Amino acid sequence: MIIALPTKESGEKAFVSENLGRANYFYLYDTKTKEGKSFKNNFLNELHGAGVKTAEFLLKYSTDILITPRIGEKALEILLETDINIYKSTEKIARENINDFLNDNLEKLY
Amino acid sequence: MQIAILSGKGGAGKTLVAVNLVNLINLSTYIDCDVEEPNGKLYFSSEYNKKDINVLVPKINYKKCTHCNKCVDFCRYNALIDFLGKVKLLPSLCHSCGGCKLVCEFDAITEVKEPIGYIYQGDYKYHQIYGGELKIGKESGIEIISQLISKADKEKINIIDCPPGNGCSVMESIEQADYCILVSEPTIFGLENLKLVHELTTLYNKNIGLIINKANDYNNIIEDFAKTKDISIIGYIPFDKELAKLNSNQQLVSDNNKFKPYFIKIIEQIKQEVDL
Repeated sequence: MIIALPTKESGEKAFVSENLGRANYFYLYDTKTKEGKSFKNNFLNELHGAGVKTAEFLLKYSTDILITPRIGEKALEILLETDINIYKSTEKIARENINDFLNDNLEKLY
Repeated sequence: MQIAILSGKGGAGKTLVAVNLVNLINLSTYIDCDVEEPNGKLYFSSEYNKKDINVLVPKINYKKCTHCNKCVDFCRYNALIDFLGKVKLLPSLCHSCGGCKLVCEFDAITEVKEPIGYIYQGDYKYHQIYGGELKIGKESGIEIISQLISKADKEKINIIDCPPGNGCSVMESIEQADYCILVSEPTIFGLENLKLVHELTTLYNKNIGLIINKANDYNNIIEDFAKTKDISIIGYIPFDKELAKLNSNQQLVSDNNKFKPYFIKIIEQIKQEVDL
């Protein structure tokens, strides 16, 4: 299972970003290998459609779970057509949000 | 002749100025380009004819598509994405540029019509009244504005009531304007928005005049700026409860003898700048 979060900095100790499409980084964690990796958001400065490009990115990396404080209308429209489940992040670092999700302590948004 | 009325913010008095100029200029045409919130027609009792406006959006033929993603990479508006190996269109982001069709080497993209709103036309006394409305949820009314501007009669005076701000839809509205009237109000907020819209008309090299609406004891906020930028102030409309009340009841305040002189004076000033 791949878990994705928008983060302010790179790495698992980074705080979750306040925005999804305009996050600085995305942290992707694989529960099988127990390894995570940060990706720079290449669409951060797009004038249009940063959210939809983020949705495209999440699909490209076979994301199963998205943990985010909020999600834009367009990205949501795309992700609702997929099997990705979306959970609400808390103001903790990425790693703790992942643990909270794995322990069933996060609220499911969609 | 096209005279565009614009301001950096909503509620400054664009429509107030526009409809009353139309009312006092013989045979003039009113064109409401604020297609997101058109309200100019409320002042003119008329029957209106509607015409639907469409834009072209791409349609992907999945039998021909090889998933090369050239169109996805090309689209600078990100209206096309790679959705689980299939090209997916997000119509709300599409700007109808047609680029995706051009870059597709497999002839997999055709263009189809997508309705985005309508334009309407009516008559009031000896005036032509035009306006348009963008459908709820659609992001760009540029095509509607472009169709509206094309209705401008070269032989007549066309008063263009612009959308607020200084974005694409305002640019489309003023592009062919011979003269631009900036409407502002004497507040710090009004000044900041005036600066933005002045920057735009400067960029477009437009001949401009400034009207101070809701004029009061603080007009110097705007007057000082006008002086430093060498902008001619072509009129004042007072901050007046009676005027506000008439206007909010869909009355043309220029039909009222108390307020008519303010607009007559503005027209005289415009005549010194352009041939009316």
